[in-house]
Amino acid sequence: MSRWIALGIRTGVRSTRYPSRPDPEAEIAPSAVTVDIAALSAVQALEAADMCPTTAITAAGDRDKGSIAFDAGQCVMCGRCVRAFPAAFSYGHGPEVAVHSREALRVAAHWADGSGPAVDETAVTDELQRRSQALFRRSLHIRHVDAGSCNGCESELQLLGSPQYDLNRLGLFFTPTPRHADALLVTGVVTRQMEQPLKDTYEAMPSPKLVVAAGVCAVGGGAFEGGFMVRGPLDRILPVDVYVPGCPPTPLALLHGLLLAVGRAEERYRPGGGPHGA
Amino acid sequence: MTTLRELAQKFGLAIEGGAPQELRTQCAPEEFLGAVTALAAEAVLADLFAVTGRGQPSLTVVFELAGDAEWLVLRTQLSGDSFPSLTPSTHVASWYEREIREMHGLNPVGHPALARLRLHDWPVGQPPMRAALERRLDVGPGVPSPVPIVHGQGVFQLPLGPVRSGPQESGEFLFNSGGEDLVAVSQLLGFKLRVVERLAEGRTVDQALMLAERLAGVSAFSNALAFVQAVERAMAVDVGEQSRAARTLMNELERLHNHFGDIARLADATGLMVAGAQYASLKEEVLRHCAALTQHRYLRGILAVGGLQAPLPDAALHALRRRLADWLRRSERLERLLEDTAVFVDRVETTGVLTKEYAAPHNLVGPIGRSTGADRDCRRDHPYAGYDRVTFDVLVKSQGDALARLSVRLFEIRQSIRIIEQVLEAWPGSDVAASVSAPATGEALGWSEGAGGETLHSVALTADGRIARWRARPPAFVNWHPYAEACASGNNLTDYPVIEASFGLSHAEFDR
Repeated sequence: MSRWIALGIRTGVRSTRYPSRPDPEAEIAPSAVTVDIAALSAVQALEAADMCPTTAITAAGDRDKGSIAFDAGQCVMCGRCVRAFPAAFSYGHGPEVAVHSREALRVAAHWADGSGPAVDETAVTDELQRRSQALFRRSLHIRHVDAGSCNGCESELQLLGSPQYDLNRLGLFFTPTPRHADALLVTGVVTRQMEQPLKDTYEAMPSPKLVVAAGVCAVGGGAFEGGFMVRGPLDRILPVDVYVPGCPPTPLALLHGLLLAVGRAEERYRPGGGPHGA
Repeated sequence: MTTLRELAQKFGLAIEGGAPQELRTQCAPEEFLGAVTALAAEAVLADLFAVTGRGQPSLTVVFELAGDAEWLVLRTQLSGDSFPSLTPSTHVASWYEREIREMHGLNPVGHPALARLRLHDWPVGQPPMRAALERRLDVGPGVPSPVPIVHGQGVFQLPLGPVRSGPQESGEFLFNSGGEDLVAVSQLLGFKLRVVERLAEGRTVDQALMLAERLAGVSAFSNALAFVQAVERAMAVDVGEQSRAARTLMNELERLHNHFGDIARLADATGLMVAGAQYASLKEEVLRHCAALTQHRYLRGILAVGGLQAPLPDAALHALRRRLADWLRRSERLERLLEDTAVFVDRVETTGVLTKEYAAPHNLVGPIGRSTGADRDCRRDHPYAGYDRVTFDVLVKSQGDALARLSVRLFEIRQSIRIIEQVLEAWPGSDVAASVSAPATGEALGWSEGAGGETLHSVALTADGRIARWRARPPAFVNWHPYAEACASGNNLTDYPVIEASFGLSHAEFDR
């Protein structure tokens, strides 16, 4: 056993300094797609919607008149649009992709009379005072529920305990019992057979409580929206406080989502460009 | 040594073409039971599935045989909604038939234990893979299937799940215990049933590939590879040497991060926190290299029909090459430390034993199969991608305990690094997907050896190149079958986390 202790000490500290410092090594994987809709022509917009395997990019109309919408909450980051239209679609690598409102993950544009798409004004409301977040600033106990995930999100969540991320250093803990939990972290699209266990877990948690939807399946249904035996995204079942897109979200994106839930991080991502993607 | 072709001849089955390495044959429904029983006695039943759609339902059995690179695909068209059960004569058919009954509504007459497999209460008469349910969820509740429990003086039940203690997948286990000992474990799976294969029907191959990559997270690549190879074989598309090399490389990277992750969980389950941290650290490093190579930590979005979506960047390949020796050195050091840690070896040795005799009729695959004497490895038995160009060894053990499963994984880590070194040594450069010409109709098998074992997919395409039917048989489907037996083989309640981690079975792959 002493050899293990020696090995542990010899290995030293491997943990990221995020969020106090950015961690380029942990940001190799893209965390979200950002679109500059104005860089697309009407025809390209229609083509992009056609190649998207989910409903993240939707478009209607023809060359003269039409509309396009991009929903990062449905984007599985397959990279098809990024490779086909690199001028418009790009990968963002920063971990700050979590948002408070589902609307914040959407951007839409329309065109008429043969001109290029013009971005619609969106009405994303930033609620100033999030309920109960101040209570959990220093310490948050998280109850995770897999409502129908592919195990990709669980793999990333398990890695939050690895030396590279070590979520405990931020006062974040997974708890085995909902009675001790402050936050419910849900991964996966909600399946018919997981709906009741999910609701039971939520009911068993004391108030106030936060709900985090992690991964596009929980955020918008992702690849499985409309599927057999599938109830759909989490906000059809429970009120959601924070949405973390990604397929799966990277460990740093998950950390950011949890910190955002308790008011220790800023919301930065906008799918139409913004501090994160532009 | 006999071959599948000779066996088919012996039992009077005429071969009717099929993709390369694939022998397709048919028989009448009344001959089906006899033919499958005879073949299963000499060959390995690798898959059994139903196709129900327009027209008559059909049953398909896939066989393989040690020392034969071909597969034998036997199909029969049923005239009604029932067929004589294969289970009384061929034990491995049991779970396949239960799946066929609840997903397709075909009744295996004479099945000895016809309980629900995944569906907890779906109403009878609306099998999800068959019925064209307009409002899929608005069916009333059905009759829940009872979970078997043990009765007796002092025996109590301790439930675990479906919501687990840590960030884990959902599944329910009922421990029947007399105090310390695990008398029996009843499992209730299928909580995450999404009917992924049904969702793919009618989609383009490209869209369905996105779903194949999301069947399971940590085995995304091996499942997508089996799927894409089935499509390529159905369409008779050739894959370039460069893409084959890249696929081999990524298949091994996925094995590495899975094995590192599984061993980390096993170490955590035994309370060896430093070992758990070290292996989790290795897994994270492999994932970062995967991301540098493909822009995705779990290797999604890189496969394309005919090749790859994008070339692997040279800089990332160089970085990987420089890292391999370090991974090998560290995993060998950890392996020695694990062997020298008596408290660890005591927890895993003779824990969760699956005897060779019990395991054999289940046709197990992957490290779990190879730790119970099943000498099967797709990479060697049915070479695909670039596996005909690399040399590696396959370790087969017979103890069937958690230690044997660990030993096989530790051995495979070294072999994976060895394979990656060979692929990089002979690296033919990276190319992108060959542009696939006119879509072709057809049907073929595709396979890969994932970290969990043999991953077998079958794809049928429509005339306009869309998915008519996709069958996925991931390794977890096979390996869950004897799991409860391994749990109850003289273990205590406190052994359960060790047993579960040592199996490392995927719920997502099983539930689908």
